Amino acid sequence: MSVSSEAAPVPRRRRRKTHAADEERVHYSRWFWPSFTIPATIWLAILFILPLYTVISIAFGTVDPIFRGPLPVYEPWWWSGNQFGRVIDDSFSFYRPVYVHTFEYVIVASAICLVLSYTVAYYVARFGGKRKALLLVLLIAPFFISYLMRMLAWINLLDTQGYVNKILTFLHITPHPIDWLGGRPSTVIMGLVYGYVPYMVLPLYAFLDRIDPNLLEAGRDLGAGPARTFFRVTLPLSRPGILAALVIVSLPMFGDYYTNNLLSGSPKTTMLGNLVDEAVNSTGQGNKAAAFVLILMLLVLIPMLYYMRSTSKSLAVR
Amino acid sequence: MPRRNDLSRRDFLIRAGATAAAIPTLSAILDACTKPGQPANGSSDAFQIARPDNPVTLPMNGEPIATDTPIEQGATLEILNWSVYMWNYVIKQFISQQAGNGIKFSGITTFNNMDEGVQKLQSGKVKADVFFPTIDVLGKLVAADLLQPLNHDLIPALQHDNWAAFQNPYYDQQWRYSVPYTIYTTGIGYRRDVIHDDVIHGMDNPWSILWDPTYKGQIGVYPSYRDVMAIVLMKNGITDLNTGNPDDLATLRSDLLAMIDATDPRIAYDAAYNKLPKGNFSAVTAWSGDIVAAWGYNPPYTEKAYQNVGYWFPADRKGPIDNDLIAIPKNAEHPRLAHEFINYWISFKNAMNNFSWNGYQPPQTKANVDALTKEQGLYNKQSSSWAAATSYVGPWMPDAAVRESDFPIGYREGPLPPDVDDQWHQIWSEFQAGVS
Repeated sequence: MSVSSEAAPVPRRRRRKTHAADEERVHYSRWFWPSFTIPATIWLAILFILPLYTVISIAFGTVDPIFRGPLPVYEPWWWSGNQFGRVIDDSFSFYRPVYVHTFEYVIVASAICLVLSYTVAYYVARFGGKRKALLLVLLIAPFFISYLMRMLAWINLLDTQGYVNKILTFLHITPHPIDWLGGRPSTVIMGLVYGYVPYMVLPLYAFLDRIDPNLLEAGRDLGAGPARTFFRVTLPLSRPGILAALVIVSLPMFGDYYTNNLLSGSPKTTMLGNLVDEAVNSTGQGNKAAAFVLILMLLVLIPMLYYMRSTSKSLAVR
Repeated sequence: MPRRNDLSRRDFLIRAGATAAAIPTLSAILDACTKPGQPANGSSDAFQIARPDNPVTLPMNGEPIATDTPIEQGATLEILNWSVYMWNYVIKQFISQQAGNGIKFSGITTFNNMDEGVQKLQSGKVKADVFFPTIDVLGKLVAADLLQPLNHDLIPALQHDNWAAFQNPYYDQQWRYSVPYTIYTTGIGYRRDVIHDDVIHGMDNPWSILWDPTYKGQIGVYPSYRDVMAIVLMKNGITDLNTGNPDDLATLRSDLLAMIDATDPRIAYDAAYNKLPKGNFSAVTAWSGDIVAAWGYNPPYTEKAYQNVGYWFPADRKGPIDNDLIAIPKNAEHPRLAHEFINYWISFKNAMNNFSWNGYQPPQTKANVDALTKEQGLYNKQSSSWAAATSYVGPWMPDAAVRESDFPIGYREGPLPPDVDDQWHQIWSEFQAGVS
């Protein structure tokens, strides 16, 4: 044991030395390595920064005098804050319940997703064995069907004459069919969980699979039981994965409108995404839609910053 | 020890809270920074707002095509319309008739709302030969020079087959740019097995059924602010469906929001033609055409099942009424073909065939409105193998048939001045946000 542990660093040092020598021989321009980022930079500029600036220009822009469609104003010195200011004011008055709903639904749905995904990902990572590949394929199977189709399927299942109610009434669990689609927050949350849970399983699996089993064994060797090992070793080590997975599912959930449209439609369950959708489709409300988009962005930036801070801290610890 | 630039968790929360507190102040600052220019609420100076008591003659943007213009040979007919609003069979009959001219048809370019339709037209990417606008955008389309004047000689069917009410409509005097497509009323669709005919017809104010807590969770409304709010106004006896009166708007607001607590309504574009027949709703805001078309969405597609769907409109026929239009875009590549198609489409036989499929009645002089509840249309006859072989309009829902006499006494929804429209939108936003 001691021989091998002492012998191991030698070739590593040698490799490093050889590699350094190679680098010394090849003279790269100072722009060589940064040039690798050019494709991604162009991609970001075209598909993110420009559209974002257009959204800002619409939020602070004006409207077509005839059709009242949104007109972006690209020169910041001509921007008008009227519409944006009004949306902010309304956000603190009658839109407040919408913000509350959105946060409630996203937090609860993300938490349920986490519990469901973590247990499944843990099982596959730790006990999947030779069936890991098969289990992973099964986990991503829902991706093969479009999100819209999956949600439409739920309408048929949850309808008053749907299979869920037929089974519940057949088993006498409920005397009358339940109106699942009648504007219930629980149905919206269920829809969000169903729609987004596969997005959480994969990153969690990737993190859990990377945990060194020797660390778990070390925990047990030090006298910790299975539960203690999980809570003191596995869970802390998978924290970055949990945060990443939460970010991946919660950000699109904040902007989701279709789940609520299809599974509820009640004003009592309106989410922020629905306000954007309504404003986009209403004459003269395009600036308002852009303002909502910016507010939504600012809101989701808070958990994103928290995630970045946590990630950078955990990297610094390593 | 954290680095100097690191935020502690507490700092993070404090700063996030401070940002949230500062945001309302931001709106005041932003207001102060407003640059003069086109205000965000737009302007209606560019076009006249038409009302039945204020008819509008739209300005001529050029001259109509000459009567002797030949039909464009080998052209592909381009149609820009709402989806599921035209029966392909009737279009294909036209194409067959035009086989000698080599006319082709590849499909309808559709839009989901009028803004989208106008945008497609404005962008120039869609070079439609015929377009189906609503009355509220007609004046705007002309002001933006997006439509071309019609040659009346090439559309004789308007005079021969269509109601006198549309020979000189208030929104387009001398029908310079448009012909009528379909006519419809806005009323209450209901499940007759839940709400019996005599119950709703016996109510002092049947509009108020949408607020009846008996049907809590069973009420559906369109995602169309004008139509839903028109019903709120009707319930309160306010017949100006374009009102900007502060008292009317206050009533409108309080009563619309009261609906949320009373019946917890759901917003669905297919409330009338799909969710009502399927039993998801017991009462809905409904266009008469949607209710007539509901037989196609009514499992198990038998007439008996369809008889569960009813339609109420005031017996004195004083209620919201409207019509859609057909026009030719300025950039149409085949304007002569477009005239030919419009003439074909609004002629008696073809208009009625299309009605039998889409449920939306055309204003046809030769159609006996009383007989609509007895006679079967072409599609009703063809579809008997899988759907209810009923008449044009179900005999149990005569209220859904529209009469020419309804138009002078009915109430029209017209375009709103931008400031009034903003107030309407504000109320609708509160409703959408679930304020009660």
